[in-house]
Amino acid sequence: MLYYLIVCRSLTYAQRTQTALERAGITAHILRSPKVIDSEGCSHSVKVSERNLAPALVTLGRAGLSPKRVFIMASDGSYKEVLL
Amino acid sequence: MVYLDSAATTLQKPAAVRRAVIRAMKHCASPGRGGHAPAMRAAAAAFACRQAASDLFHVLDPENVIFTLNATHALNLAIKSVVNPGDTVVISGYEHNAVTRPLTALGCQIKVARAPLFQPQLMTEAFDRLITPEVSCVVCTHVSNVFGYILPVADIAELCRKRNVPMILDASQSAGCLPIHMDELGCAFIAMPGHKGLYGPQGTGLLLCGEGRSVRPLIEGGTGSLSARQEMPDFLPDRLEAGTHNVPGIAGLLEGIRYVSLVGEENILLHEQALMEQAAEELSAVPEMMVYTAFEPGTQAGVLSFRVKHMDCEEAGERLGKRGIAVRAGLHCAPYAHETAGTLEWGTIRASFSDFNTPGDVRRLVTEAARLAT
Repeated sequence: MLYYLIVCRSLTYAQRTQTALERAGITAHILRSPKVIDSEGCSHSVKVSERNLAPALVTLGRAGLSPKRVFIMASDGSYKEVLL
Repeated sequence: MVYLDSAATTLQKPAAVRRAVIRAMKHCASPGRGGHAPAMRAAAAAFACRQAASDLFHVLDPENVIFTLNATHALNLAIKSVVNPGDTVVISGYEHNAVTRPLTALGCQIKVARAPLFQPQLMTEAFDRLITPEVSCVVCTHVSNVFGYILPVADIAELCRKRNVPMILDASQSAGCLPIHMDELGCAFIAMPGHKGLYGPQGTGLLLCGEGRSVRPLIEGGTGSLSARQEMPDFLPDRLEAGTHNVPGIAGLLEGIRYVSLVGEENILLHEQALMEQAAEELSAVPEMMVYTAFEPGTQAGVLSFRVKHMDCEEAGERLGKRGIAVRAGLHCAPYAHETAGTLEWGTIRASFSDFNTPGDVRRLVTEAARLAT
């Protein structure tokens, strides 16, 4: 299944992001960002399913939680950045 | 033992606090230091605590709630973020050494707003006179740790906002028993312990940071974020939280905050004030007893200073301790407060109450104090 990773500047920011999404009924999981997508080292991302990205971005925009970067996991397991 | 030293640290804690500490020691690792279940459980506890604190103190963003070791640590972070060496700073005449020692170490010019005990209008006027254009910061305690005097911090904060001077509030004695609205006060920082009125374990404290306020770390190190860089992250809470967190303490603090939220700060204050007033009234009836209490209701929290005339206060405190009454005697790390109140020469004996004390505890105190005086 395809999914998106919303990269957050800190664990606490990821937790705020997850809380905002789940309050809006969007399933979201926190995980450590794969090394390949974060050159600055050690960050956390919030994972949402492909179909939930658009409502997730709307929800986060309303909550004032702007994502640092967003990546999609491609079918071959690689990550591509999504330009917002 | 009748424990009446809650202004130093509360000894009786809600059972949920103890259980949470033990649970965290068994099951929680380090927040942000792994994606495994024990690390994520620790992260969840830390975030829940930040959220509970931001709800209780009306902080817009839980990222602005910083975990510290105690209120002294939080005050040092706040002061050293705002104040530069040699700055002019206004403080109340009731400050603790946790405020005055860092300011002294920075070589600040300290202007002291002095006014008699339990006279809030005079205190506001003293601040009004001293907050002049060269002042770079105001630091004020919410409640005197020696006398329980509730300072008019809303009025002082209003003066600071009007004159665009950042204010640091020391909520060491008020967090958990007086309402604190970060958003309404508009303070640059509010510092508080976790182990007093919030009923958390020792080794916990909180610093609430104002929106957009720049902060200076006291220590640098690992944060679990931006690890490839050698500079500390520029965002909260990571910027001020280097190193492994006190997760058992934070888990316990969360339960303490939940207890305060459930019981209600107003109810806790009323209970503690009732005990303080009972103690003040009954001690005042004992000959040779000097009691420092407010005439105006609402200007004193659950802390009471007294002394036995012609008896050294440390000796009196020692004797009370031997008779099963835990109080604190001396200067209470607050020589400014004793100087302002005129008690610097003798010091006082301080009884301070928590939500877990009873009128029976007060009667034991009065009985044993009366034995000292006769």
